[in-house]
Amino acid sequence: MEAITPDQVLDCRGLSCPMPMLKLKKALSGLESGQVLQMMGTDPGTRNDIEKGVKKIGSELLGSKDEEGYTSYYLRKG
Amino acid sequence: MANSDNEFYAALRDGYRRVFVEEWSVTTGGVLIGIMSVVSFAWARPWGVVGGLRVWGDWLFYAVGLYGERPPSAWLDTNSVITLGLLWGSFAASLLARQFAIRVPPRLELVKGLVGGTLLGIGSALAGGCNVGGFYSAISALSLSGFAMMAGLLAGAWVGLKYLYWEMEHFPSAQAETPAQGRGGLDWNPAKPWLGWALLLAGLAVNELYKARGYVVEGGVLLCGIAFGIILVRSRFCFARSFREPFMTGEAKVTQTVVLSLMISVLGFAVLKWGGLRSEASYVSPNFGLGGLVGGFVFGFGMLMTGGCGSGTAWRAAEGQVKLMVALVMFTLVNSLTKAVLGVFPAVQALVGTRVFLPDYLGYRGAVLLIFLVLVLWYLAVDWNERTDRLVVEM
Repeated sequence: MEAITPDQVLDCRGLSCPMPMLKLKKALSGLESGQVLQMMGTDPGTRNDIEKGVKKIGSELLGSKDEEGYTSYYLRKG
Repeated sequence: MANSDNEFYAALRDGYRRVFVEEWSVTTGGVLIGIMSVVSFAWARPWGVVGGLRVWGDWLFYAVGLYGERPPSAWLDTNSVITLGLLWGSFAASLLARQFAIRVPPRLELVKGLVGGTLLGIGSALAGGCNVGGFYSAISALSLSGFAMMAGLLAGAWVGLKYLYWEMEHFPSAQAETPAQGRGGLDWNPAKPWLGWALLLAGLAVNELYKARGYVVEGGVLLCGIAFGIILVRSRFCFARSFREPFMTGEAKVTQTVVLSLMISVLGFAVLKWGGLRSEASYVSPNFGLGGLVGGFVFGFGMLMTGGCGSGTAWRAAEGQVKLMVALVMFTLVNSLTKAVLGVFPAVQALVGTRVFLPDYLGYRGAVLLIFLVLVLWYLAVDWNERTDRLVVEM
């Protein structure tokens, strides 16, 4: 995951469901196809919602990385 | 021998992880909630959340002199005990999975917690309960008021989602000032599972204490509450999602799981009531009418603002989400105050609705069939929507 350089970073730390997924959907809609978004989040629910959620809107979860106190998710706009 | 020992310990470790650390499927959660709902009713009473919160709110307002009448004991009233158990079990389960952490949201989210909690309090007072007592347990109890609240919840969730879209356009919130958990200071992550186990053992000890004092029923209700809390956290079971997701993402899974869970619960309640083992009047509240509809709508909108329903707000607060803690406090206080105000104005109370016990009109067989028919239609509607996105609200 370290090798990925995101085109945009979305900070959703401290936000709880459903805001991280809503903000993610909005951020992805503003990207060009193929661009990568890094989302930082602390809501445990995001871990399970994100893959199916972004697939539904044609994007892809590349992977995630646990950082100190939060998780980074890397997503590619489809 | 040593190899088989190693395999045994590996299986034990995997089993522990699957049960106490990894997330359960939402279907597992729904089925277990349905079973526990029947177990709780068979033991003593249906599952509820806001009734317990109200007892605590009543005590606060009684202590400051606002209420004249002394509320029931928070340690013995089963409304209070089952909700205490829910918070207890949720806290323990989130510690066991090392998920508990204080999560501080941005200021706008805190304001939404305050407003959303207020709406949950008003809505649940009008509807005769939150999403649990007013919807889930009411439908299980074969009360038509549960469907009135369901209609209100669906409408409230739709409008609430439109509001969230509008808010994101006009108030893109700032980030939290102290967003990350566990930064600096003592790392207590390794201690969390031990604390979780200590809490669960303390729950058993308190159950024993109730029994020793002659309160066997209340002690059992505490354990039922703890079980609900564990199931909710482990499966992240959220009723708010069942009303929101078909409009937000089109996903049908959570809604269909609520349908499945309700079917289990309805069957169990029908058996217990029809067999004369439990009172037919239990959880058949006089809220079929404006109370259920308007209360459901206000509650549904509040669910979208807080990000949690009655049970969801409670278990997420116990998981360390500060926004949900704020919402839970407002939910408690405002529900108590709204119920007190309704009690003072009988004319307003009369507008709330009437008591409709479906078997009085359709018999038990007819009531169960009608409820199943509505639930199957709900199941099919969200399935169709998942394929077509016809009900999804565009951003």
